[in-house]
Amino acid sequence: MKKTLVILTRNPLSLIGLILVGIVVLSALFADVITPFPAHVGAVVDFANFNQPPHWPNIFGTDLVGRDLFTRVVYAYRISLILGIVVLAIAVPIGVAIGLAAGYLGGWTEYLLMRLTDVFLSIPPLVLAMSIMGLLQPTLTNGMIAVTAMWWPWYTRLVYNIARSEKEEGYVLAAEVIGASKLHIMFREILPNCVPSIITKMTLDFGFVILIASSLSFLGLGVQPPTPDLGSMVAEGAKYLPDSWWLTVFPGLAILIAVFGFNLIGDALREILGVDQ
Amino acid sequence: MTNPTLRIDDLRLGFKTWSGTIDVLHGISLHIRKGERVALVGESGSGKSVTARIVLGMLQQLKSARISGTVEFEGINLETLKPASRHALRGTAMSMSMIFQDPTSSLNPVYPIFTLFREVLQRAEPGIDTETARRKAIAALADVAINEPERVLESYAFQLSGGMNQRVMIAMALANNPALLLADEPGTALDVTVQAQTLRLMSELVEKHQTSVLFISHNLGVVREFADRVYVIYKGNIVEQGPTAGLFDNPQHPYTRALLSAVPRITGGGIPDIEDDPAQFLAPLFAHQGYSEKELLK
Amino acid sequence: MSPFFRLLAKRLGTSLIVLIGVSLLIFAIARVIPGDPARIALGPNATAEAVLALREKLHLDASFLTQYGYFLADLARGDLGISLYTNRPVMTDIAQFLPATLELVLVSGLMMVAIGLPLGILSARRRGTWVDHTIRLVTMLGVSAPAFVWAVVLMLAFSYFLKIFPIAGRLSDSITVPSMTGFMLIDTLLAGNLRAFADAVWHLILPAFALALSGIGQAARLVRSNMVETYERPYIEMAEAYGFPEKRIARRYAFRPSLIPSLTIIGLDFAAMLGSAFLVEAVYAWPGLSRYGVAVILRKDLNAIVGTVLIISAMFLIVNIIVDILVSIINPRIRLSQRAS
Repeated sequence: MKKTLVILTRNPLSLIGLILVGIVVLSALFADVITPFPAHVGAVVDFANFNQPPHWPNIFGTDLVGRDLFTRVVYAYRISLILGIVVLAIAVPIGVAIGLAAGYLGGWTEYLLMRLTDVFLSIPPLVLAMSIMGLLQPTLTNGMIAVTAMWWPWYTRLVYNIARSEKEEGYVLAAEVIGASKLHIMFREILPNCVPSIITKMTLDFGFVILIASSLSFLGLGVQPPTPDLGSMVAEGAKYLPDSWWLTVFPGLAILIAVFGFNLIGDALREILGVDQ
Repeated sequence: MTNPTLRIDDLRLGFKTWSGTIDVLHGISLHIRKGERVALVGESGSGKSVTARIVLGMLQQLKSARISGTVEFEGINLETLKPASRHALRGTAMSMSMIFQDPTSSLNPVYPIFTLFREVLQRAEPGIDTETARRKAIAALADVAINEPERVLESYAFQLSGGMNQRVMIAMALANNPALLLADEPGTALDVTVQAQTLRLMSELVEKHQTSVLFISHNLGVVREFADRVYVIYKGNIVEQGPTAGLFDNPQHPYTRALLSAVPRITGGGIPDIEDDPAQFLAPLFAHQGYSEKELLK
Repeated sequence: MSPFFRLLAKRLGTSLIVLIGVSLLIFAIARVIPGDPARIALGPNATAEAVLALREKLHLDASFLTQYGYFLADLARGDLGISLYTNRPVMTDIAQFLPATLELVLVSGLMMVAIGLPLGILSARRRGTWVDHTIRLVTMLGVSAPAFVWAVVLMLAFSYFLKIFPIAGRLSDSITVPSMTGFMLIDTLLAGNLRAFADAVWHLILPAFALALSGIGQAARLVRSNMVETYERPYIEMAEAYGFPEKRIARRYAFRPSLIPSLTIIGLDFAAMLGSAFLVEAVYAWPGLSRYGVAVILRKDLNAIVGTVLIISAMFLIVNIIVDILVSIINPRIRLSQRAS
């Protein structure tokens, strides 16, 4: 673990990734301290100062009701990160457990679980989340539910494929011979072999969860105003192109930086841990 | 006296890594005259395979490789050649070709044998038409005792047996009548009887065509049967050289002795683990009477 | 050719089961939501009688399975019900909006393959060099932003700033062609109007590229990593030892074996564009399924939501079947084992 971190800091690309993610995480954590106008997170108006291009102290400019864009972008990071953590914290265990069960137990369990997974996988990711989100009320919690619902099957597929090949391996057969329980074999013998793949995918997915969540809110199906959200900021700003370019460019760039950072780290991890794509 | 087909003089190779250079070859010298079959014997990691790849000019383009010394092919110093001219010495007519350890995985799995064979023949005759290529391929396959050459040409490597693929590989290797054949552990992945059969076949063919062979192996039984002369390599140094019979009957270097005593008497199989004894094994090169590079290249 | 059809039949069979699963899933989600769909559809000012009549009409009082049974029976007749938003059959609505979306997605898919694969090959051929590093970095940027960010950025740069491409829509206002297929590229050709065709291409390039960017990145990265792995294989060393031309090694002997594992995932990425198309359509005012989809979702128009999702999933499954067939064509192992069995 420590060794992996050391390697990550040596490779210039993953080092950039670590720095970008570090900036995103730290700014989200210390949003109250580093933003000049923490109050602008809510439904504040400052019409005297509305729709201004970047200038000091509004380094990203101000939005249509005069709120500081930098402040709102940083707070949006905070929400995106929370969403990412919650989604992965729920989706990964569910997906992994189903994948292990299907891959190791086989038979009817495998058939039913994998067809169920196929059903979820055959609705384009964004469309499934959109429909769930649209049918529920667009709130942060429901956003998490919607994104979680589309995310677990990918982990099921990942773990299923590993479990299916590992179950023929000697150490699994050995455990079966000495009478280890099925649960023990699944979680203590096979699962550890899936961990590198899972960690790599989670790193990459952290970025993609942010990406999908912003897509939902871009379509108006995500977090509702006045809560700051990168996707809805871009959607709002796109109406005022090209004159008020900062309204879209900075939130868009913010998404890019966060996702790019997680991708760089995930990519390096894949190489270090020797995980297949 | 004419130039030997291959002459290697004081060849050194190192790989540059983050933590310094790793030396692989410490200045080896060897040569092969026309029609001669010379074996380079050693354990895996001794540097024998990289030697073959340097001869083919395949390591030179590697950024991390540090190569010095002389490699001459028919009197041409490879180091003075441009990469394109070095490339022109691979697989073309009267040049070099190679046979690999595992024939089945050395044949591309998504193309039928004929496609590969044609590509091989194109190296000698770039504008070759399909019909001529097919005729030549069939003739070459018949030479390696393949009964249904047409069927084999339509097949994919995974549909054929290992022995069959090895014959195909030999046919390809000799199709353009190379001056030098590099055989890197040929057929080690095959089972013993098949390996012996295909090697005998290869032996007959190279004799017929007067092809020079650098035979790289860890299998002493096979070497004894196949080679005229032997070089023994240990950790990037040639430690003993001589005629096959003389070297096997009267090994002089401690490493050669250890190697020979470890050999099972039956043909085939690898070398069982030899206990490492660097103090002894790194003793200087022993050349049998009349078989030093100096004497032979006079 | 019968084994080929057997494979096709098998894939169609599984896809049908999955599609029924999709319909059940989306139908279930649509039915468990809080609130009365009839009330939502008619708005707060509707009379209780009207709501009751609509509930009757939609069989909302029957059990879930009965409702699903009605739905399946209608579906078998090609009837997805009436959209409560447009008051037209959902099938008619989708038929109207789908071609524009499909046109966009197909052109994007073409760009993904035509740009992504060569980039991946080049990157693998030059692995470890600055060419490789540059391609990897750029393609990584491509996958790191959602399609709507690229759409906005491209629009800002090429439409507003450089003024090279039009800002929105499928055709300039001054040009009209009769709608026959709904595919603008085909309609303009059918009308024999080459100027209109060029204009349609002009309008299509930017949105299609915005949509394709992440796919291009995925395809290039995937092909690169699979090809780098292939380059380690003995059969590539054989090709190099025999002096096969380096370009031919890359384009044939290394590329084709690496395409087999890449293709399935590229197919998934292509199918995912059906979802991302919503984002690009929103930015470029593209009259596709997006605006309709978002509108019916926001209005909780159940029939239309279920219909839209079902059609998109069917497209998704069709793409996957096509990819499976392609894989079996380029992989002799699958092709020949099918013939043997």
